[in-house]
Amino acid sequence: MKVSGERQFEAPRATVWEVLNDPAQMAKTMPGVESFDIQDDRHWRAHVKIPLGLGGLRMSIDFEKMEEREPEFAKLHAKGNGVGAVLNMDTSFNLVEAEGGTNMKWEAEVHLLGPVASMGQRVLQPIVNQQVSQVLGALDKQVQEAKTG
Amino acid sequence: MTETTVTPERALVVEEGDVKPGFIGQSVPRKEDKRLVQGEGVFFDDVKRHEMGYVHFVRSPYAHARIKSVDVSKAHELDGVYGTLTGDEVAILTDPFFELSTAPGANIKDYALAVGRVRHVGDPVAAVVARTRELARDAAELVEVEYEPLQHVLDGEESLKDEVVLHEEAGSNTVWSGVFDWGDFDAALADADHVVRIERLHFDRFSSTPLECSGCLVEYNRGTAQWTIHGNHQMPGVGAIWMAPALRVGIDKLRFVSQDIGGGFGNKITLHPQYTACCLLARKLNRPVQWTEWRTDQHTANTHGNERTFLDVTVPVKADGTMLGFSVRAIDDCGAFPRYEPLGCIIWAQVTPGCYRWRNIRVDFTQVCTNKSPVAPNRGYSRMQHLWLTERIVDIVAGELGLDPIEVRKKNYVKHEEFPYETPNGCIYDSGDYARCLDIALDLIGYDSLEEKRRDAESRGKLLGIGIGSTLDSGTNNFGQSMILNPELQFSGNNEVATVKLDIFGEVVVTLGTVPQGQGHETTASQVVADILGCTPDQVNVRAGHDTYWNSTAGFSGTYASQFAVTGLGAVKGATEKLAGEMKQLAAAVFGCSPDDIELVESQARIKGNPEAALPFMALGAILNANNAGLPPELDVTLNVRHVYRPPFEKPDLERKYGNLTLTYATQIHACALEIDPETGVYEIVDYAAVDDCGNRIHPQIVEGQVHGATAQALGAATHEIFTYDEEGNLLTPNFYDYHVPHALDMPPLKTGFIESESPFTPLGAKGMGEGGGAGIHAVCAALQNALGRRGEGPIVWRSCNPYEGVWDLVQKPEQTRKLVSVESR
Repeated sequence: MKVSGERQFEAPRATVWEVLNDPAQMAKTMPGVESFDIQDDRHWRAHVKIPLGLGGLRMSIDFEKMEEREPEFAKLHAKGNGVGAVLNMDTSFNLVEAEGGTNMKWEAEVHLLGPVASMGQRVLQPIVNQQVSQVLGALDKQVQEAKTG
Repeated sequence: MTETTVTPERALVVEEGDVKPGFIGQSVPRKEDKRLVQGEGVFFDDVKRHEMGYVHFVRSPYAHARIKSVDVSKAHELDGVYGTLTGDEVAILTDPFFELSTAPGANIKDYALAVGRVRHVGDPVAAVVARTRELARDAAELVEVEYEPLQHVLDGEESLKDEVVLHEEAGSNTVWSGVFDWGDFDAALADADHVVRIERLHFDRFSSTPLECSGCLVEYNRGTAQWTIHGNHQMPGVGAIWMAPALRVGIDKLRFVSQDIGGGFGNKITLHPQYTACCLLARKLNRPVQWTEWRTDQHTANTHGNERTFLDVTVPVKADGTMLGFSVRAIDDCGAFPRYEPLGCIIWAQVTPGCYRWRNIRVDFTQVCTNKSPVAPNRGYSRMQHLWLTERIVDIVAGELGLDPIEVRKKNYVKHEEFPYETPNGCIYDSGDYARCLDIALDLIGYDSLEEKRRDAESRGKLLGIGIGSTLDSGTNNFGQSMILNPELQFSGNNEVATVKLDIFGEVVVTLGTVPQGQGHETTASQVVADILGCTPDQVNVRAGHDTYWNSTAGFSGTYASQFAVTGLGAVKGATEKLAGEMKQLAAAVFGCSPDDIELVESQARIKGNPEAALPFMALGAILNANNAGLPPELDVTLNVRHVYRPPFEKPDLERKYGNLTLTYATQIHACALEIDPETGVYEIVDYAAVDDCGNRIHPQIVEGQVHGATAQALGAATHEIFTYDEEGNLLTPNFYDYHVPHALDMPPLKTGFIESESPFTPLGAKGMGEGGGAGIHAVCAALQNALGRRGEGPIVWRSCNPYEGVWDLVQKPEQTRKLVSVESR
């Protein structure tokens, strides 16, 4: 499944870049994060509980930064394992200075495998949409906090 | 509707109320029903053993991936976990299962668990055994498998390109390919007045879904190195042929036992991988292990029916509607492993011309692997797909040329007076009257008032369509057809066994080699025995189920391929006749007369014309078994006989791919009337008739039950049942929430009729008849086509499964399918 979008932040590009590239700050934007371990500046791991209709799906997700061109582009790969589910995701964003702030174009390709994917396929899209919306809302908040110091 | 035709010795039409002599032909109470309705059946899952462990398979979430590592250590740490099994162990402890195909399929290596690579979502990677089923499932989640994802291929035509190869050792995704060419298709093409071309038709992937999932309880006897498998394998003889060499043991080391089985439909024929894993676990852990398949696993990773795409269908037709044959390129998708394949590449040839007199047929057939669940025989195995093709051909040709599909059928059907009829590839259709069956079906749905019904539907904003499905249920395989695929295979003919004995208290005891799954074998066998021995079915104890240690097993024992009425009951008849002969000999020795003077009536052996000189069965049993002093030494009777029924088959001509591939041909003609709401694509079957001809009916009620079941199977496959995959290879219909099997309330009003065309080739004049569902799939397709299309206009129904959203697509975008068909008129 491919998802993509655009978001405006009322903050300088450097601030947005800083938030997006700080695993600890990003962890605060992700819903259902139960713990977060930073291995090095390119690898980190999150233990999350993704809300699904019949209960939460616990996953251990390994993130790896694949590519970055500060302050405009970064690409991440995420691989998650959970009970009855495997997640593979490639995501990237582009930051462009815009009037009054920063414009972010982002995209993600999500591959969900296993019985959860089989049974949950029909509810997956709304769940992904909801998650994306929450992440972006939280990101906005993090950026504002970073901007105001 | 009760009538019978064809048998010259009998009246052509037997009216309702006429009674045939004896118990054969009567719907006597089924012996099995009492225990089943009272919940007293014994299924494999009811068998328990002290200290047994429960098996759960760890399955692949990937459609295709390399296995980098499997770590079971965390699962072992869980309290209550007894042990595990991995693919690496399987590779050491077993040999790959033998393959039926020639190369490239022959080079595929198929094990009980995935070795080195997974090839479909659900492919078992490891197994965990624990104290409870739930604990085993929890522990399985702790098994850590590291995968390296590989590109996958989910489409048969794409698979042909070999851009992604599933089995490196085979070097190709092609399992088997070959061209079948009978008659002179090129001459027929030159002789045609019209040539109808159909670019593409597709038979969708679905499966019958037995109420009882697969499973087994396996015990290992370390002293004798022998396994006892309490399971629901429906063809254990063949299962053992796969399993024993893989386990490196003799075949007698595998004892298969079953009592009641909750449906089979073919998908319980290829359980050898799971059973082999359980055998290894029982031996490794030195404890009984039980595996009960979860429904989701059954859908995801057991077996499906063959998915088949038909390309470039070319049909030469004369001006009067006579069809001269057809040519087609067929691509059969067997999923990740050819577990029973490539037999599907030849089984269809049992019904090469369908019900029709077509003499020129060319089929270019290729079977490929894809990253989907493997296939197995599924009720109507391989013939269903092919017969759906023949029926689509008839209706599309009729539609394009403006001909009446009823009249086209009658013109092209094999005629009643032509039986036995030899097809272009040497099969012998034994008996039948297709046109008569069609007339009965049309009568049942009130075809005469079709136009009136159509107008009425139109007044309500609906489109009415009527469709016919006419198919053959070919039964009693000649396994020699496998040699057409692979001349090195040493299989031909067929066989089945029964034993019948008279015990010390006069009890008649029958054992069957067949493995009944709900077909009423105990009942019908007792009817046959009772008629021969002159007793009642109540006096005949047919042992429930199957046990390979009963000595009533032959190489092809099992229940499959519509054959019990021929092979199973043929064995029962043969054994009972032998027993009857021995009983007469014994009675003659006691009475001092000739065996010819003895008759068996009223549960006695008595001298003809002298009812007073009678020995009850109990006396015969007691004399031989417990009071035999003084019997003549030359009297060679045991009152315990075994008979192997062997159908009259020859090996086929391998060069010409020619020969009698099966013994009997039951007929099913279905007629369907449905109404479509063109605004939504929703349709409703408003009238339905199924007419069956299975030769002499042993037990009409059981036949009727099979007709109902097969019709439900067909309507499910035609309307909703489909195994759909997403682009990752995830099955999107892995349980009954997404995979809708018709419920009782989904079934339309079903009218049934029958005729009885006695088979001249079988012991009882009967034909097997358990797989007649294909007719219904086509009847629905044809009715949809009839409702939506007009000559040269409207959509073409090109898929076998047409859910409402698919019909809506057909209505909305008729041009997308219309272009699949073209007509060349000369």
